Amino acid sequence: MLLSALALLVAADPAPKFELKDGDRVVWLGGTLVEREQRYGHWEAALLAAHADKKITFRNLGWSGDTVHGEARGRFDFNNAEKCFKQIVDQTVELKPTVIFVSYGTNESFEGKEGLPKFEKGLEKLLDALKPTNARVVLLSPVRFEKSASLPDPKPANARLALYRDAIKAVAAKRGHAFADAFEHVTPKDDTENGMHLTERGYEATAAQWLAALGVAPPTAPTGKLDALRKAVVAKNEQFFNKWRPQNETYLFGFRKHEQGRNAKEIAEFDPFIAKAEDEIAKLLKELK
Amino acid sequence: MRHLIALALFALSPQLALAQRDAKIPDPDPELERKTFTVAPGFEVTLWAADPLLAKPIQMNWDPQGRLWIASSEHYPQIKPGEKANDKIIVLEDTNGDGKADKTTVFADGLLIPTGLEPGDGGVYVANSTELVHLSASKPGGKADKKRVLLSGFGTEDTHHIIHTFRWGPDCRLYFNQSIYIHSHVETPSGVKRLNAGGIWKFNPDKTELDIFARGWVNAWGHAFDKYGQSLVTDGAGGEGINHAIPGGYYLTSQGPHAQRILHGMNPGSPKYCGLEVVSGRHFPDDWQGDVITNDFRGHRVCRFKLQDDGSTFAAREMTEVIKSNHPAFRPIDVKMGPDGALYIADWYNPIIQHGEVDFRDERRDKTHGRIWRVTAKNRDLVKPPKLVGATVPELLEQLKAPEQWTRQQAKRVLKEMDFLEVWPAVRNAISSTKGPLDEVYALELLWLGRALDDANPKGSSSTLSNLRSAVRAVPNQSANFRAATLRVHCDSGAVRDPKIGPGVHAVAARDENPRVRLEAVRALAQARSASAVESALGILDKPMDRVLDYALWLTVRELEPYWMPEFQKGKLTFGGDAKKLAFALNAVGNKDTVKPVLALIDGGKVPKENVHGLYLLLARIGGPEELSRVIGHSVRATASERNELLLAVEDAIRTRKVPAPKTPAALENVIVLDDAGRRPAMRAAGLWKATALSAKLHEIALKTTSSEDRRAALDGLFAMGTADETLNALLQPKATADQRRDALVALAGVNPPRAATLTAAFLADAQSDEALADLFTAFAIRKGGASLLAKELAGKKVPADVAKIGVKAARASGQPADDLIAALTKAGDLGAARKPPTDAEVKALAADAMKTGSAARGELVYRRKELQCLACHAIAGAGGAVGPDMSSIGASAQPDYLVDSLLLPSKAIKEGYNAIRVVTADEKVYQGVKVREADGKLTIRTAEDKELTFVTKDLIERGDSTKSLMPEGITDQLTKQEFADLVKFLSELGKVDGPYAPNKARLVRRYQAIDASPANLNLFRRTRVSAAAEADNPFAWLSAYSKVSGDLPLSELPKFTVWNDTAAQSVVRFQLDVTTAGAAKLKFNAVAGLTVYVGNQPIEPKAETVLDLKAGVQTVTVLIDRSKRADDLRVELDDVPNSPARVSVLNGK
Repeated sequence: MLLSALALLVAADPAPKFELKDGDRVVWLGGTLVEREQRYGHWEAALLAAHADKKITFRNLGWSGDTVHGEARGRFDFNNAEKCFKQIVDQTVELKPTVIFVSYGTNESFEGKEGLPKFEKGLEKLLDALKPTNARVVLLSPVRFEKSASLPDPKPANARLALYRDAIKAVAAKRGHAFADAFEHVTPKDDTENGMHLTERGYEATAAQWLAALGVAPPTAPTGKLDALRKAVVAKNEQFFNKWRPQNETYLFGFRKHEQGRNAKEIAEFDPFIAKAEDEIAKLLKELK
Repeated sequence: MRHLIALALFALSPQLALAQRDAKIPDPDPELERKTFTVAPGFEVTLWAADPLLAKPIQMNWDPQGRLWIASSEHYPQIKPGEKANDKIIVLEDTNGDGKADKTTVFADGLLIPTGLEPGDGGVYVANSTELVHLSASKPGGKADKKRVLLSGFGTEDTHHIIHTFRWGPDCRLYFNQSIYIHSHVETPSGVKRLNAGGIWKFNPDKTELDIFARGWVNAWGHAFDKYGQSLVTDGAGGEGINHAIPGGYYLTSQGPHAQRILHGMNPGSPKYCGLEVVSGRHFPDDWQGDVITNDFRGHRVCRFKLQDDGSTFAAREMTEVIKSNHPAFRPIDVKMGPDGALYIADWYNPIIQHGEVDFRDERRDKTHGRIWRVTAKNRDLVKPPKLVGATVPELLEQLKAPEQWTRQQAKRVLKEMDFLEVWPAVRNAISSTKGPLDEVYALELLWLGRALDDANPKGSSSTLSNLRSAVRAVPNQSANFRAATLRVHCDSGAVRDPKIGPGVHAVAARDENPRVRLEAVRALAQARSASAVESALGILDKPMDRVLDYALWLTVRELEPYWMPEFQKGKLTFGGDAKKLAFALNAVGNKDTVKPVLALIDGGKVPKENVHGLYLLLARIGGPEELSRVIGHSVRATASERNELLLAVEDAIRTRKVPAPKTPAALENVIVLDDAGRRPAMRAAGLWKATALSAKLHEIALKTTSSEDRRAALDGLFAMGTADETLNALLQPKATADQRRDALVALAGVNPPRAATLTAAFLADAQSDEALADLFTAFAIRKGGASLLAKELAGKKVPADVAKIGVKAARASGQPADDLIAALTKAGDLGAARKPPTDAEVKALAADAMKTGSAARGELVYRRKELQCLACHAIAGAGGAVGPDMSSIGASAQPDYLVDSLLLPSKAIKEGYNAIRVVTADEKVYQGVKVREADGKLTIRTAEDKELTFVTKDLIERGDSTKSLMPEGITDQLTKQEFADLVKFLSELGKVDGPYAPNKARLVRRYQAIDASPANLNLFRRTRVSAAAEADNPFAWLSAYSKVSGDLPLSELPKFTVWNDTAAQSVVRFQLDVTTAGAAKLKFNAVAGLTVYVGNQPIEPKAETVLDLKAGVQTVTVLIDRSKRADDLRVELDDVPNSPARVSVLNGK
């Protein structure tokens, strides 16, 4: 009794406001929605431009098909739940984040109401495991689906997504994390490939909505300058992607590294290119101020 | 005196090695390359396009305009840091129709290793690393400036495994493959689709529907559809030739919920093949129609196979090559029929093809060349390329009747991409205006078109198809292939659940006279999600079955389990009281829910006799203590081989499922007293169950038996009971035989390594050299810390040199760290300095020397030496062990330096699919092997001894990848320099066309079994007669014997024996034929002198060409050889009898 009363008290606290600080390193976890954002950069660029006076770096760790359990990250250990989970935690911790965006729930939502307990437990386990980073955590809700040739009736899917949004919100309240309700704010209109994944235009069209979900005022810079920034963001993301998810991993780091592991040294050679790309972003941000 | 390699290394200069390396880069002139081609009679090959028009083609596909689209990569296999991804999609055209490409356009660039492409929907679908994208140009004829990402989440763990082999299916779905190392997680509006190994995806871009069409293969870069939509597949890293892929089927190396059973390709022992196409159209002669073409890219050959019906599946027979060449850079990797009816071959042109095994940055990798070759028939007209784009709908519909599959498929694509409201009325009109019934091929194309158009029909899905159904039904005299194809279209994507379609399919399963139609029905029913579907599927058991049907039914029953098992348990599903069907269903599912019904079936007594053993075996797999007791009781009455199988299953149940002993002791003693193999698992089971009442019996056997296997089983049992001391002491007495002492020590090493080590060191001091001693060393090596214990005990002691050598070999073969043991043995046996790994320069020098001084003929004899054990692990053309890769075409694909490396440093580069994993069991034993399968929480590995071991994964205390090859180091240490050069030369010649070791299409018997001249076998002969060897359940011990690459079985290597003093010496060999469809086939003997031949136990008269009438199933041919009447080696070839329905292949293997 006492415990649940306490839980209620905590839940009643207003959610902390989301804020980015100078020097923040944001790591973003999630599935296809996050992964594809790095190729287009609209959301990341908008958020950077809205904080043009601060030095903030983004590392996109989105991985298609992923869940709070790290299911898509296991590679040869896909059958080993512990190792999948270890991947998602290790990948995040290695980047020394000060802020972590956690965007899950969409892939889990196909399990419907029955899958909720497993999802909630998994999310909490993930947040527990990320605690040692001392990073500020922002939980993001899924984005809603829209009607398309691939999804003639999005209602059942959206009803399921709403359940997962609620669950994420409750976990955020319980643990005192910021919560960004993208489900409410981001509404694709003819902006998806298949009802669920935003097109490039979709990311562009919803950038302001996405900032609103985070409670961030949109940047005031002119579009042309923002586009240059966005291109710099995409270039940085490509270099980072080639580093953290290189092709031929089996030979570079995996169980055949004794054959081609000598070429793994090349992976560290991406670092200067990433740093150079970050400098370019910083330069463009300075011009925005 | 022997000159060991290590001494010779320094005599050769590094300059020589470099010269060799340079010599491997050929002159890139295409005409010089073309001149190396030997072309099939009646055909010619011309150059259609070459660099600089294109470079490094990975896949090619035509568009309806007759332009050839090419995915091209210069970054392959790995982008360099700082490099901007700039791989390309190229379009080649022959604008003036002179049979040569004259225009090249870069449609897209900035890509990273695009491994597949297929034009369509106003642009091109491209495999772009983790994504499947659609690229298009906003300006007609322009460069791509629009990119849609359709799917993402494909794995990139290996750039020659990432998604590839794009192909429009006849249903206008996009089929594409991924390979063994790839783990894909793809989000779609109906959930995440995951595939964690190889397989074929089926994708409907209009609705983002993504499904797994079939699973498995190592690296399948060939997928083609025959005229009726049946899928054929080749594997670029597996050796099973042409595969018939059935919907939902699992093949080699599959992952997934039903991976414990798989289907196989039609040509085991084949080289690896890349690309696949079905020959179709008027330009090719009639006897080529429906044949399939694929590429032996390692052996520089373009190969042709003839497909024949074989029950529900096909048989594929290799014919004369389309092209063969000895040009080191000719790498045919894709093959497609073209718009003019000619055959086009994409030549990747590269001397280096290995990926993981050769450095990503090896400078011999070619980055700039590539060719497209065109194969035409001499004196036959080409087909006029059809004008499809811009044609009217009626004109396009007319093209659906074309004899060329190319034209029909492309016309269908054009129609599919047109406005539905324009196309559909014309289709209906075409049907209604056709006088008489529709032609079969036309009707089928219309049906496929209807399926493709369904998505665009504003009236909703399925209405298009239902309109076509009556027209299709009216086609007269429908062929079986047509019935099978229409069934698949109708049932596609779960349509079998449609009440208008489902019931018909249920009936077909049992009724159709053709096995391929029944196969389609059974697989369609798997999607029916109902209990009644399983009853209908089981209906096929009333008609003749074959291997693929049996598999398909097994898979369907399992996939439907969630729907029928609950109904069955409620008593609502009875299978019509048919025990055979129920037995099949329960056997397929095989979980603990089925124990009671299995017991009821056995007790009911209505099960056909041939199914009884299977049910008891199932009971052993799933039952508890009382059921195991019943199995043991039954086994006493079973045949010896059945008994052994049942007891092994009982032992496995106790070991892996921890089934406790039954309350009333089981009748294990009744099995143990029978003197056959079944007593061994029985004794171990007795131990695991702590049946101490039997310990006296086990003690007696351990002391009395002359069989080492019996003795060890008895000891294992006693140790498990904890009552082994007395037996052990008796066996370790100085007066005990060496075999007894050795076995006692092996057993002791498993439970008390320190004591075993002390006693072993003493035992070895005066041990006789005997290969069986290897087991004793292995027993220590596989215990954690065991090798070190023995090494310490050996310090300062002496061991006979030959014994020490056996120990070193065993320690190396164990794959475990055993450096201290090897050092101790080297010292104790005075074996001389340990070898050092060779440097790169030494490797190059050895390779150069082998090419200069080696003799392949002598090398083959080295390869066949028993002590080298090459054949025990590496088959040639499918004959030999399966531990390592087949060597058939290694010489055509691997550079000599790679061969030297592999012999001296086996762990440096390991072929995919042959990497070992290492596991540690709860009793701290370490095992190493190649994963065979993993399903139901059990892991099966194949060890270096070619034994399969199964573990319960959750019982393993450690599991990881081994960096050690299963091939032990130091195998060649004892060879002279010349022998080593000969061996390398032999390997380098294997598979080279026109050489003495060229690939051979003849179906030669390559794997024989021979009766060893052991005292036990001789006694058996004296008690019975020599011809008893031909009896099915004969008691002889047989050893494998392999033919040479030529197919000759050297008589001089065969064991021979004289049964009675004054009779002639004899040898006895046998081989097996796998008969999938019964009928006449013939055996060709090189000479018949001295041969007596039996098929089964029936004697037949051997002639140069002996026609046999074969029944379906595996048939054994036994050959008695009177050595006094024969000097020739034995060579036997299987061949067809004209017009015979028989489908027969030679069973090779280990």
